[in-house]
Amino acid sequence: MRRVIYRLGWPGTIALLCVMGFICMALFAPWLAPYPAQGAGAPNVVAKLSPPSADYWFGTDHLGRDVLSRVIYATRISLSNGILIVGFSLLIGLPIGLAAGYFGGWVDEALMRVTDVFLAFPALLLAVLMAAAMGPGFLNSVIAVAVTWWPWYARLARAEGMVLRGQPYVEAARLAGVSHPRIILRHILPATGRPLTVQAALDVGPALLTAAALSFLGLGVLPPDADWGQMVDAGRKFFPARWWYSVAPGLTIFLVALSFSVLGDALRDRTKGPSRASA
Amino acid sequence: MKRRDFMKTSVLAALATAASSGFNLAMAQGNGIFTLAYPTSFPDLDPATSFSNDGAVLANAYEGLTRYISATETEPSRIEPLLAQSWEVSEDGLTWTFKLREGVTFHDGEALTAAAVKGSIERTRQIGGGASFIWSPVVSIEAPDAMTVVFVLSEPQPLDLIASAGFAAWIQSPASLSQDNAWFNAGNDAGTGPFRIVRYEPGQRLVMERVEGYWGNVPEGAFQTVAFEIVEDVTLIQNMLESGQADWGYSVPFENLDLMKENPDLKVVVNPSFETLFGLYNTKRAPLDNPKVRLALSMAFPYDDVIMAGTAGLGTRAKGVVPTGIWGHDADAPIPPTDLEAAAAILAEEGVSGLELVMTYSTTQEISALAGELWKANLETLGVTLTLQPMAWEAQWQMAKSDPASAQDIFVMYWWPTYVTPHDYLLSLFRSEDEPLFNLGYYSNPKFDEVLDEAARLSGVDRPKAEEMFIEAQRIVVEDAAAVFMLDRPNVHIIRSDIKGYTDNPAYGHVTFVGDMSR
Repeated sequence: MRRVIYRLGWPGTIALLCVMGFICMALFAPWLAPYPAQGAGAPNVVAKLSPPSADYWFGTDHLGRDVLSRVIYATRISLSNGILIVGFSLLIGLPIGLAAGYFGGWVDEALMRVTDVFLAFPALLLAVLMAAAMGPGFLNSVIAVAVTWWPWYARLARAEGMVLRGQPYVEAARLAGVSHPRIILRHILPATGRPLTVQAALDVGPALLTAAALSFLGLGVLPPDADWGQMVDAGRKFFPARWWYSVAPGLTIFLVALSFSVLGDALRDRTKGPSRASA
Repeated sequence: MKRRDFMKTSVLAALATAASSGFNLAMAQGNGIFTLAYPTSFPDLDPATSFSNDGAVLANAYEGLTRYISATETEPSRIEPLLAQSWEVSEDGLTWTFKLREGVTFHDGEALTAAAVKGSIERTRQIGGGASFIWSPVVSIEAPDAMTVVFVLSEPQPLDLIASAGFAAWIQSPASLSQDNAWFNAGNDAGTGPFRIVRYEPGQRLVMERVEGYWGNVPEGAFQTVAFEIVEDVTLIQNMLESGQADWGYSVPFENLDLMKENPDLKVVVNPSFETLFGLYNTKRAPLDNPKVRLALSMAFPYDDVIMAGTAGLGTRAKGVVPTGIWGHDADAPIPPTDLEAAAAILAEEGVSGLELVMTYSTTQEISALAGELWKANLETLGVTLTLQPMAWEAQWQMAKSDPASAQDIFVMYWWPTYVTPHDYLLSLFRSEDEPLFNLGYYSNPKFDEVLDEAARLSGVDRPKAEEMFIEAQRIVVEDAAAVFMLDRPNVHIIRSDIKGYTDNPAYGHVTFVGDMSR
């Protein structure tokens, strides 16, 4: 523990604890939620829009479901949304970026111009277009956001690839007759791990926010599943009088996005020096 | 230089904002001004092609030959003379003769004549946009003298009802007949109504002034000015009503109405609307081709809960597709109650288990989403899995119109008529179609078609008999459980309590006839 605090600093440690807390919340939702059935979507109309009370800590929604339980269940969707988006983006962006950086020349030109096309669109607009074309749904919203997200990883991976391909150990491998795919996989990819991890940690927050924005616009998960963005949207029209419906998921989004961002910052500060030194 | 320009612009902008807010304030405070907070803009102000919310404006500037007054608890519905003073129909129901009102002038000073009526309807038909199809049974329009118009129809149709439509039935001045759509949408009008359009800022506001020498009744203290403020944010509408910046508004969430009811300055007016929500079962696919299975699903629908949670208890149980207030409404329709045990028994008897169904609805319809969620929960207890699929309306409709075999299982939508007739609902939704258009449950029953056609034929000549037959036709659909009849939507309007003479007429959706009102 002391080592973690030393490495990440206090803010980073608290952020790490928060992130771990939210992950636990997602994993153990059925045990943590006071009303698991309502969290999963079972309506309870007799109690609709009740204010926060001892029974319902965060009040109830328009179908009488406990908002706290809903927020806890929504953690599963929202968190996996953020993590999957970053994962998919890495999956697309990393090979493209590394290939461009390593080979250079026309390969680089071709791949990077394609990347530029995607970068030219405002991210949310492209995501909204994609989601509208594919229809709402959990996986569709993940894909829609990932499509706008991967170019940043391609850029980052390309920069790393360009630096690394001139390194003596890479040149040595090439002279020894090692094949290109193998060089990329064994000698370049491992060295790009650190900066990309930092970037990924920093990105989960914004990715989750973008997914929440899609949900807010009605392009996210399908009812009765909920994620935080969809809950904020559903509660919006009751807002002035029944504030709890939007405020609880809204604050949660804020907290999670902040935690990931602080954690990413702490990781970057930690890895900046050594990462460059080894490269 | 550039910076000076910038400063100049910002000063101008600030002045403009100040001026417009001053204008708002003046409007709200003036006694002779009626301000409507309207949640949508007005896409088309041409009386011939308008087929949207523009009716709110046009109904104050234009008039038709007749006006439909919906049924209330004490009175049956009726058709009132407007620009026509009286009318009669030949025995075969094919020739309709309207006598026009004397002494009516258009806003441009011309007198109302039979030629103007003929010209208006012919312009509407010739452009062929919007709701012009309502005139399709008309073969010819004659003007034997200046005050008489004769319509000859190809089949018996209730022309007095058609002439009362809120779209495509406005009468305009002869001088305006040659104007194009752009002229009307620049804020010009050519009607006979109590108000004329004086100022139009698309998407922002529209201002109307009272016309001198209007033929009809002008109440004491009548409004001199009508101002439509286009406000898309429902919360803002609520604020404007509460602060007195607006006199009339709607689309405030049902859940917020309780708070507004407690406010002595406001009156919450609840009426039935002609909008009904239902889900059409795909009758072409097993096991939904079995009426008993459809009945079981309908019995699993939580009618009361949806009315309670979706409309704060203000909606009403739908009795088939023809809502309250329309002639042909069947108050005693044998609609199934919510009964999960009976539903389970029927499903077991029919040997149906592990059923998986897809319900499509339009993304903008919050009540459909809520109804779906509650229905899904009930169906789950019966072992039926309902997948809710919100879609853009165009996509939802396109999918339903393609191949019934691969389309949705349940198609949820709202329906309301272009003019007030049960025929519109029953014909569009349930009459056999070779190519599905709006019969999106693909229902086909020769017996139903026959009764419906006969009812339609009679509706021009023998309305009581026609009404009986429309009810008979609808009973067939209800007994076949061709659809789940979810609810009749309430119309809720909020009006400042010091306004006199306000009535909501569901035949004209969200239209306020300001001419009859005063403060």
